[in-house]
Amino acid sequence: MTDQQTQDLVKELVHRLLSAAESGGRGGGRDTGGALRFAHRILSSRLAPAVLPDEHALAESIKRRLAASGRPDDALSFADLHSKLSVRARPASLWPLLYLLDSLSSQYRAAAAASCLPNLPIAALPQNATSGTAPGAGVRPGSRTHGAPPGGLVLVSKDPDNIREIALREYTELVIDETEVSEAALVRDVLYACQGIDGRYVRYDKSVDSYDLPDGVRVPRSTRTLVRKLCELGWLFSKVRGFISDNISRSPSDAATEVGTVTQAFCSALQEELSDYYKLLAVLESYSLNPIPTPGSDSGVSSNYLSLRRLAVWLAEPAVRMRLMAVLVDGCRGLRGGAMAGVIHGHAQHGDPMFQEFMGRLLRRVCSPLFEMVRSWVLEGELEDVFAEFFIVGQPVKAESLWREGYLIQSDMLPAFISPVLAKRILRTGKSINFLRVCCDDSGWADAAAEAAAYVGTTTSRGGLGYGETDALEALVVEAAKRIDRHLMDVIHKRYRFKDHCLAIKRYLLLGQGDFVQYLMDVVGPELSEPANRISSFQLAGLLETAIRASNAQYDDCDILDRIKVKMMDHGDGDRGWDVFSLEYDARVPLDTVFTASVMKMYLKVFNFLWKLKRVDHSLTGVWKTMKPNCIVSSPFYKEGTSIRAQFVSVLRKCQVLFNEMNHFVTNFQYYIMFEVLEVSWARFSDEMDAAKDLDDLLLAHDKYLNSILEKALLGEHSQGLLRNLFELFDIILQFRSHADRWFERIYELQLRGKGKSKSKDTGSWFDGGRKAMIQLAGELFWKMGEDLDSIAKDYTASLDAFITQLPMQQHVDLKFLLFRLDFTEYYSRVSSNK
Amino acid sequence: DVFFYQADDQHFIPRSLLIDLEPRVINGIQNSEYRNLYNHENIFVAEHGGGAGNNWASGYHQGEQFVDDIMDMVDREADGSDSLEGFVLCHSIAGGTGSGMGSYLLETLNDRYSKKLVQTYSVFPNQVETSDVVVQPYNSLLTLKRLTLNADCVVVLDNTALNRIAVERLHLSNPTFAQTNSLVSTVMSASTTTLRYPGYMNNDLVGLLASLIPTPRCHFLMTGYTPLTVERQVNMIRKTTVLDVMRRLLQTKNIMVSSYARTKEASQAKYISILNIIQGEVDPTQVHESLQRIRERKLVNFIDWAPASIQVALSRKSPYVQTTHRVSGLMLANHTSIRHLFSKCLGQYEKLRKKQAFLDNYRKFPMFADNDLSEFDESREIIESLVDEYKACESPDYIKWGMEDPGEANVVAALDSKLVV
Repeated sequence: MTDQQTQDLVKELVHRLLSAAESGGRGGGRDTGGALRFAHRILSSRLAPAVLPDEHALAESIKRRLAASGRPDDALSFADLHSKLSVRARPASLWPLLYLLDSLSSQYRAAAAASCLPNLPIAALPQNATSGTAPGAGVRPGSRTHGAPPGGLVLVSKDPDNIREIALREYTELVIDETEVSEAALVRDVLYACQGIDGRYVRYDKSVDSYDLPDGVRVPRSTRTLVRKLCELGWLFSKVRGFISDNISRSPSDAATEVGTVTQAFCSALQEELSDYYKLLAVLESYSLNPIPTPGSDSGVSSNYLSLRRLAVWLAEPAVRMRLMAVLVDGCRGLRGGAMAGVIHGHAQHGDPMFQEFMGRLLRRVCSPLFEMVRSWVLEGELEDVFAEFFIVGQPVKAESLWREGYLIQSDMLPAFISPVLAKRILRTGKSINFLRVCCDDSGWADAAAEAAAYVGTTTSRGGLGYGETDALEALVVEAAKRIDRHLMDVIHKRYRFKDHCLAIKRYLLLGQGDFVQYLMDVVGPELSEPANRISSFQLAGLLETAIRASNAQYDDCDILDRIKVKMMDHGDGDRGWDVFSLEYDARVPLDTVFTASVMKMYLKVFNFLWKLKRVDHSLTGVWKTMKPNCIVSSPFYKEGTSIRAQFVSVLRKCQVLFNEMNHFVTNFQYYIMFEVLEVSWARFSDEMDAAKDLDDLLLAHDKYLNSILEKALLGEHSQGLLRNLFELFDIILQFRSHADRWFERIYELQLRGKGKSKSKDTGSWFDGGRKAMIQLAGELFWKMGEDLDSIAKDYTASLDAFITQLPMQQHVDLKFLLFRLDFTEYYSRVSSNK
Repeated sequence: DVFFYQADDQHFIPRSLLIDLEPRVINGIQNSEYRNLYNHENIFVAEHGGGAGNNWASGYHQGEQFVDDIMDMVDREADGSDSLEGFVLCHSIAGGTGSGMGSYLLETLNDRYSKKLVQTYSVFPNQVETSDVVVQPYNSLLTLKRLTLNADCVVVLDNTALNRIAVERLHLSNPTFAQTNSLVSTVMSASTTTLRYPGYMNNDLVGLLASLIPTPRCHFLMTGYTPLTVERQVNMIRKTTVLDVMRRLLQTKNIMVSSYARTKEASQAKYISILNIIQGEVDPTQVHESLQRIRERKLVNFIDWAPASIQVALSRKSPYVQTTHRVSGLMLANHTSIRHLFSKCLGQYEKLRKKQAFLDNYRKFPMFADNDLSEFDESREIIESLVDEYKACESPDYIKWGMEDPGEANVVAALDSKLVV
């Protein structure tokens, strides 16, 4: 209002100074306007008085001048008035006032002295000059009425150049007056621009992408700058409204670029903000209809008028918000769903309370669809995501893959205010519900979900959650996850007996049920010695059934026994039954989520390995049975002569020593497999199974269990060399078995013949001949045995050395225990050091 | 199903034959609380009821006479088995029936079921007290021949050691047969646990024995058990760990063979093999630690001529047996000190033989008719050879043993025998 007061005072001053000079109203308004503009220009300029501002000095100067002029009474009046004014007025404003009055007085005297005033076209001055009266007499109205028509006389006496100069000045002023744009017009144009509409003077310029006044329009530079700044709001507004109209008017048939619910919510929120903006513009437009008052005119003017300055004040705050919306619009272009919400959230990290309030209001609208999706997913397992904007996506899969691949986190769509940990929990909770519904044929999860909702205090209906309540969301998710996971674990363990099936797999696929395996190997062994192509799976299945009935496996649960099946792995022409025989376990839904096809393949890999190991062990016990003590110790060869007896004892000792080494290796390797690989892994898995709170934990525990077995059983990628070496050892042992069978068959055959012949002692010459022939045959047999044994022993020793040498270099720490077992008495250490 | 079968009336009946030449013991069973347990068709008592008179020859001869009846019972039980693995014979070696008839049965089983295992739990006589069987050295020697030639595995239960354990460990001033027999039954039960509760390994008899008996003649095993209790000590509660059990099994006081305690040659004696059967609540990782500890402290002295280690079998515990310990263990071991037990038998035999004492009772039977005592001489040779082989196992050069001239071996055996005497 200070500016307004100043303008009013200046206007009043000019009016009073010029009103006395008016005659008949001719050109009065124009003169007043011109004088006022002149005054404004002086005030706006940087003109300054040449003297220092000293009030008392100036006052003294005025008094001296009055006294010197012969006006002592006036001097005294001035002194008295000045003292009174000093008491009332502020010291800072007193000097300018005195200076102004003094300057005007000086100007007046100078004008009277001069014949013409070049800069101020006052008609009264020539009149004063013509009358020739004193300066004081000029101001009296009576004096003015007595003069003759001054125009005619003065003009006749002046030279023609002066008249032309005056006419030119008046013309210039007229031209400027006509081309100047009024402030009201500019205000109106700015309001148009703020609505994205081109005004009369202010237009949108595509080349510079902004609203501006054309260069042809003559306005002060400051006005132009102010207009441009005000019109930026229009530019921002156009951007925001363009985004809204683009998204709203998009074709529904275009699925790829369909507008999602989050985008719709965003547009709706922006629209709501714009509606406030529209209201403001309406108010401002009504204000702009009120005329801008001129200085000094007090009557009939409303205080709710609009000037450019006022408009700048009104639009400052909306401009901030519009700029923010424009930035958001730019950031969200091309985004959807959670990604869009994340970007908006990113801009909400601001310290300004206005920003926080604005962004909070906006995000509550934007995130409402997302939170609804979370609620629906977490409490009902429903993916209501028509526009693919949720951070969880589902894809069509089989029941066994539902858990692992059916639902995934789309990290692009994950807003920043949902942490990855929370997102995983959200994913798992809905996944659990779907798993229970689809794979477990269970509906008890609904009770768990309702309990979770009741516990947290929200409802299972829509609209219960909003942005800014992430804690409430997290509480809901945590509670729902806890209860539904617990329910899922109950269903898995109690109804589907997961642990029982794991134990069954351990017993039958990992050969933990030793008597069953023993019997199975006894009955299928002869079959598996045939080429794989000629083996009937049906016959093997029958033998499997026989083995089950004959061992403690028969007491197992029927449901478990029914799932054990014979499986012949892929085989070629050169394969034998031993190489491709496998047992498999029919896991079925929902347990096939854990025991997937790839997992069962790993189990088969382990089975195949353990089956090979069992076969080698079985072979060695067969050798022991073949040369068991009460058959060997009673052998008649012990009673024979020195030569054959020594030969027999020698070859037998070789055989026994080699057997003992092989048996030591296989027994301790099996011990390692049983304890370090299977039992320890199972003990840990059993604990983790009991501790598992959700299916992911259970899957992780099982994967860990299976990988632990593979790694420690030399079936991992780091143990290929060692495994190859192990299989070499196995082959040598099997070779030893087949040799031993043949050898002892011959020995026992010879023994029988010996017994038969010994009963015919009475036949002299024939008996002697037969006996010698038998001894010769035995000698040849023992010699051949010795040769073969030496060869096998050499191969075995080399292979075992390589195996034992490799063991310390293995990465897995448990394999060191295998070396510890194999070399418990440091026998191999001594043997290698002796070499 | 291993040791029992289910009858039509849902009873479980043990696959067991009760055989004696006098009725006293079997009558005691048939009058006890277990009278309904056994199949009556599987009980054989000689009609004359006179027993064998503590005479191996009499028992052997009667075995020959009754073999058809007995083998009928054996054959019937064998036919009823799905997968017969072998036979377990429980007998004494010092009297007449267990030694003589037992010997005949061993020979017959070996002949008729040559592919099946024969394991014995053989009770050796008490050496400390004066025996009521003065001719037990004769009987023991003759039985030992059959145990060497016709058995696959002999679990030696030494009454001397059992008595010592009962007196010193269980604090029984005058132990009864029932009390020492309960130790035997504990051992038998523990050693068959892995057969009755099949696991990953050790599910059959041959699986147990193949590792314990690497060389065929050395098939005499000794046992140790811990903790040992009798009924009146049930109130004692102990927290036992796997390491406790495995360490105590290696201690002399828990071994059920008396010769193990001989300090004179203990430093030379070696384990050929060890199997520990651990029952109860066992953490698998504890076994590892226990074995490491035993190795670090060198608590076991193994043979040098072959790789060896302690085999461990974990087994569940019977839910019907109340025990005061969470963990218990049985050790089956092949140890070279067993030879001292045999040497003692030889020594006692030599004393009697030199005096020609009590031989008339043996001459009455066909094997020893016409004063033919070659069976005694042959048995002595075999046992001497057995002692020599166990002694040779203590040497790193065992692999080359037995290739020499038999004459030298006999000389060494003779010298060893004199030392024992």
